[in-house]
Amino acid sequence: MTLWGVLQVLTLVLIVAGAALAVWLKDLLAAVIALAASSLLLSLEFYLLQAPDVAIAEAGIGAALTTAIYILAIRKTRRKEEE
Amino acid sequence: MRWLKVGALLVVVGFLLGAAAWMHPFGLPWASDMDDYFIANAQGEAAANNVVTSVVFDYRGFDTLGEATVLLCAVVGVALMLRRITR
Amino acid sequence: MSVVVRTIARIIVPMILAFGGYVIMHGHLTPGGGFQGGAVVASAVALIVVVFGAERLKRRKTLLSLLEDLGAIAFIALAFLGIGVTFFRNVLAGGGGLFGVPVPPGPNPGFLDTGGTLPLMNWAVGLKVIAGLGSVVVLFGLFGGKDDR
Repeated sequence: MTLWGVLQVLTLVLIVAGAALAVWLKDLLAAVIALAASSLLLSLEFYLLQAPDVAIAEAGIGAALTTAIYILAIRKTRRKEEE
Repeated sequence: MRWLKVGALLVVVGFLLGAAAWMHPFGLPWASDMDDYFIANAQGEAAANNVVTSVVFDYRGFDTLGEATVLLCAVVGVALMLRRITR
Repeated sequence: MSVVVRTIARIIVPMILAFGGYVIMHGHLTPGGGFQGGAVVASAVALIVVVFGAERLKRRKTLLSLLEDLGAIAFIALAFLGIGVTFFRNVLAGGGGLFGVPVPPGPNPGFLDTGGTLPLMNWAVGLKVIAGLGSVVVLFGLFGGKDDR
């Protein structure tokens, strides 16, 4: 397996791990950070698949703007998820 | 009820694994006529190096118009909803 | 926010703005374009709103909505330029005027003065996306009670 393939498999596994972490965490701010990390890794995956346009759009929308809106919403409400 | 959930999960996972096993090879579209046309003629017709931009703004301009309309509708909706509250 | 976050935001916001402007301006030469560059600049606006609070940008709301309409009108006007042939016809490409230098086929280093209406449309859509997403983030920041965290 080439280096490209190894990097791609590692990126995909980390994306799934970040998504699972975002569901599993009870601290909503940490969950949002995990979601942002997953989105940034998805942008890296788009770049590896030779789609830099989509990678820039994903990094701007998914990793920055969505995180900012979630953080604003968490700041106005509660930080901990209730059982 | 629980076994129903497990069964549904198994069906979905099996479907996804099967789709991954018999996946179409990456980078080989079934019909590549339009791709070849764009790659051969975009530089001469739209006079831009970035073929994606010339597709988005020139050949498929109506798609971009629809996308701009969607963005406008979203912004107008948010502004209408929060206008009184934020002032 | 704390002093560390504020200092780092002051350093990093001009860099994000410069990169977004580069992505919009070179949209017809390098990967990116109006939507992507506008999203990058709007993320800088979101950083300002999260770090310094939305009260600072409250008086800019009217300007942002005005810029959004200006971008939409410019985009449709540029599309109407080619109504002699079809809607969205690239009339300026290769004509020798503004942005009218013809591109040599094949790999080339890229010339900024090419592309016809594409760079102008990039700027129109970029302005629209910056103003639209920025005003959405500012409105969400202004919503609800005061936050002093």
